[in-house]
Parts: sequence; C-alpha cells; structure tokens
Amino acid sequence: MIDRISGIALNTFRESVRDKVLVTLIIFAVVVMGSSRVIQPLALGEEAKIIKDIGLSAITLFCVLISILVGGRIVYREVERRTIYIMLAKPVRRWEFILGKYLGLMAVLVVSLVVMTAAFYLILLVLGVGAPLYLLLAVLMTLFELAILTAVAVLFSSFSTPITGAVFTFAVYFVGHMSRDLKLLAAISPSPVVKAVSYFSYYVLPNLANFNIRPEVVYGVPLGPSALLLPGLYALVYAATVLLISAAIFNRREF
Amino acid sequence: MASLPEPVISVIRLSKVYHSGFRMKRIRALDDISLEVEKGEIFGFLGPNGAGKTTLIKILMGLTEPTSGTAQVFGRPPRDAKAKARLGFLPESPYFYDHLTAREFLVLAARLSAVTKSETAGRVTGLLRLLRMENAADIQMRGFSRGMLQRVGIAQALVADPELVVLDEPMGGLDPIGRKEFRDVIVDLRDRGKTVFFSTHILSDVEMICDRVGIVIEGRMVEVGRLSEILTGDVESIEVTVRGVTGKTQKILERVSQHSLRSGDELLLTVKGEEEVDRIMAISREVGGIRVVGIVPHRRTLEDFFMAHVAKAGRSRD
Ligand SMILES: Nc1ncnc2c1ncn2[C@@H]1O[C@H](COP(=O)(O)OP(=O)(O)O)[C@@H](O)[C@H]1O
Ligand SMILES: [Mg+2]
Repeated sequence: MIDRISGIALNTFRESVRDKVLVTLIIFAVVVMGSSRVIQPLALGEEAKIIKDIGLSAITLFCVLISILVGGRIVYREVERRTIYIMLAKPVRRWEFILGKYLGLMAVLVVSLVVMTAAFYLILLVLGVGAPLYLLLAVLMTLFELAILTAVAVLFSSFSTPITGAVFTFAVYFVGHMSRDLKLLAAISPSPVVKAVSYFSYYVLPNLANFNIRPEVVYGVPLGPSALLLPGLYALVYAATVLLISAAIFNRREF
Repeated sequence: MASLPEPVISVIRLSKVYHSGFRMKRIRALDDISLEVEKGEIFGFLGPNGAGKTTLIKILMGLTEPTSGTAQVFGRPPRDAKAKARLGFLPESPYFYDHLTAREFLVLAARLSAVTKSETAGRVTGLLRLLRMENAADIQMRGFSRGMLQRVGIAQALVADPELVVLDEPMGGLDPIGRKEFRDVIVDLRDRGKTVFFSTHILSDVEMICDRVGIVIEGRMVEVGRLSEILTGDVESIEVTVRGVTGKTQKILERVSQHSLRSGDELLLTVKGEEEVDRIMAISREVGGIRVVGIVPHRRTLEDFFMAHVAKAGRSRD
C-alpha cells in the first residue's frame, strides 16, 4: 500500500517538476520578492518591514497559485489522457490513487516553499535588513493553509474540469479568508437567505484567515505554541475530511 | 473430489446502457452478453468498430460498472485488487506520461504491481529487449509513435508476469512486422500457461492465433466457440476450370454449375459439391476437345462468417 501511494506521489511530483508551469511560477515569485526593493523611498524601519511582508506574501501567493493551477487539473489530466485506465487496472485502490496524487502535489509545494524561502532569506541578507528565523513561522502556517487548499483542489479535480475546478478552489480560498466577515454578516443580516448562506459558508468552508500570521511575525509580536498547534491540527483534520470526500466521489466514477 | 477449474473470466448476462449527449440518448453498448474464458487459452473478441468490445473490457478492468449482469475475474469482482494483481492490461490506443522515459514508466508500473525492487530492474530490461526498445528506453515518451506506445503498453502489462493478459486492439497502429512480433508475444504467453483475452476488428489476427473466439456485433454475442467449430470443415463450394470450351459445351456445363465465368476457351465453374465435379468429369469424357485442368475446393472462412453476421444485423435493424 505504501509502495503504491508513494509510487503515485513520486510520479505526480516528477510530472510537476518537469513541467514549465511550476518553474515559471517559482521564478516569478523570486522576481517579485527581489523587486520589493524598488518600493522607495520610505522611512528606514518601515522599509525593512515592507520588504519582509512583500516577500512572505509573495511566497504564499505563488504557492497558492501552484496549488490551484496544478491541483485543479491533477486528476482530470489522468482521465483526459486516459492514463487513468492503466493506473486503475493495476492493483491500486481508488483512494490510494487520490491520496498519492495529493501527497505528490504536497511534496511539490514543500519543495517550492523551501526554494522560495531560501531565495527570500538570501534577498534579506543581500539587502541587509536582517533575517530573523521567526519569519519561518509564517511560512509554516502557509504550508498548513496549502494542505487544506490542495485537498480542496484535488476534490474539485476529481469530478470537474480544470477551469471549473480552479475557479471553485479560488472561490473557496477567497471566501475562506473572509470567515469573520461571514459570521458577522450572518449575525446582522435581516434576510434569512443571506443568514443561511453565510452560516453555511462559515461552518463548511475552511477558515483560512487564521493562517495569516504575517503581520505578527513582521512586527515581532510574540506567538504562543497554541497559535501554531491549533491551526496545524485544524488543517490536518480539514484536509483529511476533504480527501475522504474526494475518494468517495472518485470511487463512484466510471471511465 | 475433483472440482471444475474456475474460469479466469466469467461474464454472465451482462448489459451496459450509456446515456449520452444533451438529450441523454440511450445507447445499448452491451446486450445480454455471456462468456467464459478458461485458463491457458487465447480468446479473441472480434467485432466491428462500435460493437462494444472496449465497453466489455472496461467492465472487466473495473473502470466501468455494468447496467445489469455480473462480470468476474478469477472469481472476484473486477474492482478487487486481488484480481487485478493477477492481470495485465493494455488499453486501446494507449497513452502514457509524457514526462517519463519508457524505463521510468515500466519501473513505476512494476512498483504499483508489487514487483520486488530486486526483481524490477531485470524484468524491465528483459521486456525492453523483448520488444526491441532498448534504444528508446531512456528518452521521454513525448515524441513516441503509435507503434512505440503500443510496445510500451504491452511491456507495462507484462511487467508483473501476470496470469491473465487483457489487450484492447493490441495490433492497432502497428506495421506488418510489428503485428507479427505481437502475435509471437501472445502465442509465447499462451505457451507459458498464461491466459490471453484480446479484442480486434481484424479477422486475420484472430484466425492465426486464437483458440476460441467470441463474435460481437452491436453489443450482442452472435457466436462463441472454437474456430474449428464455427468454421465447420465443410467445403462450401468447388471451383472447376475447364479448357477447350466452345459455345455449345459451355451451355451443357453451365447446367451443372451455380456460377460460371468464361475467359477465352477457359471456363471457370463454381459448383456445390463433389457430385457435380463427377458430372463435369463425365461430360468432359463424353464431349471431345474439353479437359478439366483445375479443381479448387473452397472452405468457409471467418471472413465469410463475419460478413454474413454483419449483413444479418444490418437487415434486422432496417
Ligand atoms: N462513455 C460513453 N458514453 C456514451 N456512449 C459510449 C461510451 N463509450 C462507448 N459508447 C458507445 O458504445 C458503443 C460501443 O463502444 P465501444 O465499446 O467503444 O466499441 P468497440 O470497442 O467495439 O469499438 C458505441 O456505440 C459507442 O459510441
Ligand atoms: Mg474499442
């Protein structure tokens, strides 16, 4: 079982790494981080904070793009090219296939995060604005967020086309960052329909705003261990649930 | 107590209805099909395009569910991983991962089929050699021709040394040399005790290597059996060539035959059986100047059989 899942994951990883989309996105991210220097002139202390914020935001943004763009077609591609016939005729269970695809893409994202973060620290060092290690906490939180988002992308990919999948995954990402507003909207809206939709979205869609601790790390606000542990646990449970649903849907599909 | 050997493939009253298009038009791709494939035989599944061959194979591979009826592989439901561990599958016009080399892909296939790490390298190299692909083994499959993909396809199907090999149109896209090589591979599998189930719309593929065939037309199985039983050894007709024919002798001879063709002083007569041949011989002895120069019996070919069924299906539809 482990062999089969890791085999599929490795294949997914190779496919993405040998794909131009990934390399292009990583290069773009590095260019954006490097060009943050251009934002001049600002007070000296402010400049360092802005460079860090732009860098961390760029890492998150481009990894989210990789997750949505690559994840959105990850299963669809196998169906479209009929490679799925060969994979599923092997003694591979359908849930193993879904999990392997997911883990492969997560491996791609981990490598992308590492590459981009290394570039980010290099830029900080070159600019001489200081490169404290606690900035890494924000990167770790991005990884947790990506664990959820990628599961959502795989879910849509397991039954819809890449464009629909990407649009819906992006919508989940967008609404997921407005969780607090949704709850507020649900509380104050007089319309029962708006109330219902808001509550539904609030409880079903992932609460992604919690994963943004960039302001805290950039301004050096101290964070307790629970600020990391709880989101980590939340991401694990949420991603596992979404993957279970994906596997159940994929299990019923005919090719 | 001796128990009957369990069939490798068993299909009972299987039907599949697709709903396609905007108005969900019903397409009956398979209509009440039953068949059994025994261990160690080459079974040819023959039918024109659109007959339902791929649909049945997809059901056997657990890719699609039947609308009614049951299909079993090694006595298990097709989706069972234990059944799939014992078979290899080559889909119709296969396509693989562009980003992998043939060797990388075969290693992946071996890994998914639980071939041990120590065995994998040897197996893969052996298959690449068998299919004469050593030169292309380490380049990405991006630019592979149809024939090359077909070779990779059979190699990945065989990588776990399965007991059953299922091939959907395996000769598609191959040149005559490639077809011959594929036939040799299939016959060799049978000689090693494997079971082979393959589909084709090309008669000669079946005629040359199959132990048994099933003929499917418009989703219905019109015939299943040994080739020798389907094509009973009966002589269908005999062609007799007579030389030195004149207008008068032609008239006499034509009374015996079903069909005739005159060319110069030669007459080609098609007759029903040996009795008629005897009469032609008698006539040639009585009438001077003519001589029987050739007698060729015609046996029923699979092609005759196939065409007759296709024609019948066409008529019943009108
Ligand atoms: N996924 C599908 N949806 C709708 N119709 C299909 C589908 N697959 C096959 N068919 C139809 O079912 C019939 C049998 O197709 P198929 O099994 O591919 O035939 P063959 O392999 O013998 O050429 C055809 O009429 C085909 O158009
Ligand atoms: Mg077909």
